Amino acid sequence: MAAEITSTHAHPGRPSRLPGRLGRILAWIAFGLLVVGPLYWVVASSIKGPEEIIRRVPTLIPSSLHLANFTDLFASTDYPVYLRNSLVVGLATALVTLIVSTAGAYGLYRLNVPGGKLIGGAILLSYMIPGTLLLVPLYQTMASLRMINTLTALVIVNVAFTAPFCVWLLHGFLDAIPRELDQAAAVDGAGPVRTMIKIVLPLLAPGLATVAVYAFVYSWTEFVFASQLVVSDERKTLPIGLSAIMGQYNINWGLLMAGAVLTILPAVILFAMVGRWFIKGLVTGAVK
Amino acid sequence: MSQRRRPAVAASRAVLSPEGGGTVADLERPDRRRPLDGGAAPPARRRWLKREHALAYLLLAPLVLIMLLVIGYPVVNTLWLSLTNMAIIGSPSSFVGLDNYLTVLQDERFWASLGRSVVWLIGNTIAVTVLAFGAALLLNRGGWIARRARIWLMFPWVIPTVAVAIIWQWLLNSNYGVVNYLLQTVGVLTAPLNVFGAPAAALAGLILVNAWHWFPLSAVILFGALQTIPEEVYEAAKVDGANPWQTFWRITFPLLGKVLFALGLVGTLWTFNIVDTIYLITKGGPADASMTAPIYIYDQAFKAFHASQAAAASVLSIVALALFAALYIRFARPKEA
Repeated sequence: MAAEITSTHAHPGRPSRLPGRLGRILAWIAFGLLVVGPLYWVVASSIKGPEEIIRRVPTLIPSSLHLANFTDLFASTDYPVYLRNSLVVGLATALVTLIVSTAGAYGLYRLNVPGGKLIGGAILLSYMIPGTLLLVPLYQTMASLRMINTLTALVIVNVAFTAPFCVWLLHGFLDAIPRELDQAAAVDGAGPVRTMIKIVLPLLAPGLATVAVYAFVYSWTEFVFASQLVVSDERKTLPIGLSAIMGQYNINWGLLMAGAVLTILPAVILFAMVGRWFIKGLVTGAVK
Repeated sequence: MSQRRRPAVAASRAVLSPEGGGTVADLERPDRRRPLDGGAAPPARRRWLKREHALAYLLLAPLVLIMLLVIGYPVVNTLWLSLTNMAIIGSPSSFVGLDNYLTVLQDERFWASLGRSVVWLIGNTIAVTVLAFGAALLLNRGGWIARRARIWLMFPWVIPTVAVAIIWQWLLNSNYGVVNYLLQTVGVLTAPLNVFGAPAAALAGLILVNAWHWFPLSAVILFGALQTIPEEVYEAAKVDGANPWQTFWRITFPLLGKVLFALGLVGTLWTFNIVDTIYLITKGGPADASMTAPIYIYDQAFKAFHASQAAAASVLSIVALALFAALYIRFARPKEA
């Protein structure tokens, strides 16, 4: 699928000028070092022994495979619990955002409801509200709903902060689906609900994939709200658990590296699998 | 683009095809079939519209409810809070009018933090723009590397901020960090530099870390926009003898106007509000050197226990952002082509 969005500006057959090509290869090497370099370094550091990791002259390739950092991580922290919580919150956020933002975008930008412009504007305006500055009242709100220290609270907050961007993304996708389809369906006697489910939604699939991946990644990364709304250890998500290790074992770099690797890995593996759908969606949809 | 429209066109053909005349609905209930011309009679149309509006409000309800709960109500609450004298969150308080605003406006640390936010915004805008444009232009040239890079180039963005903080604290560590080692080996540095511990370097270091974390998202959006520029435009420029520099500034940049405008607005608001990157690495220090406005507010609320002053500073920040947005929309909106 990824191969289908081949660049329209590539000239595969034509030999390009040598200096330009060399420059491009050098630029790619620079980006590779910038992006993959740090990740390699963390992985390499995580399997170094306690002496090797703080050696004056760092070793590029670890001299031995030292897994004690990882076994220590499982022995001394609740990593599996954090991982499970992060997965639950991430998947729930993705699912709810998908439903809420698709429904919202459809209502706002496809059905042209009276007052829709106003509602759409208000939702976009919520971007201007610094989310983290609402921590105090939000904490009070969640407390009055008895939702402090629940994963549900995290999901609700995550959805509220991903939905506006997702509605905006879906706007582009919806506009690309010709309206004549809806009219034809209406003429043929299909009601609005049937038109939405049977005709528009299937064509919206790439947009839906993009929205789901975006919401999951947002939730996987989210730190500020999770750090305040969740208190007990068995409800903490990975970022919170990891930041606790950061404070607790400030000097145990090996353990910290192992924790970082195991936080990065699930996200990177997931993205390597579904990322192409996300990129495809952003590339074709966000441009409108 | 075209490949996404293709199924749509095919479907519309199926709907309008004379021999079938059929949608899925028709296939299921052939008795409901209506001739195309008589189908949209005014009363039926009105009924359809009514049902459509009912559906629209129903679909919008969850979104509006969640936004009201998480953003709408807390905003109103912040306004009220800023007019009271609450210290620790949740403690009893009474109405004090605009006292908190006066306190905050007279607090040098607030103004300094606002100034740092401006530096933070400008620094991030420059760093992200350079990285994202570079990556997008490279992706757009296509080729074997570019097709694979679409995935790995995104990795910094999918990594949780906590992990980003750990990675860069380790890389830039003054004793064991590989960056310090390399810079000393090639002679750029004579002594190890503790980036996040030096007041002069902390904010700059944080800007680079944050740019590393966020540039991939902008890069992909820009790449998508570049893909919409037809190849013929570039061919024509080449025929006219334009060099790559001129091509970029005269063609690529203006044609990206709409996307850049949206990205500039949303990106600025997002960047301003970042707390996690800064808090996890420096907590606003050393000696306030990296304390931007949101960190100031966070500290006032959760460390100094001045909840009401934090609320007043929040309101002032929101006003500043709204002012920026209004000016930005007024002066930077691309002209309709």
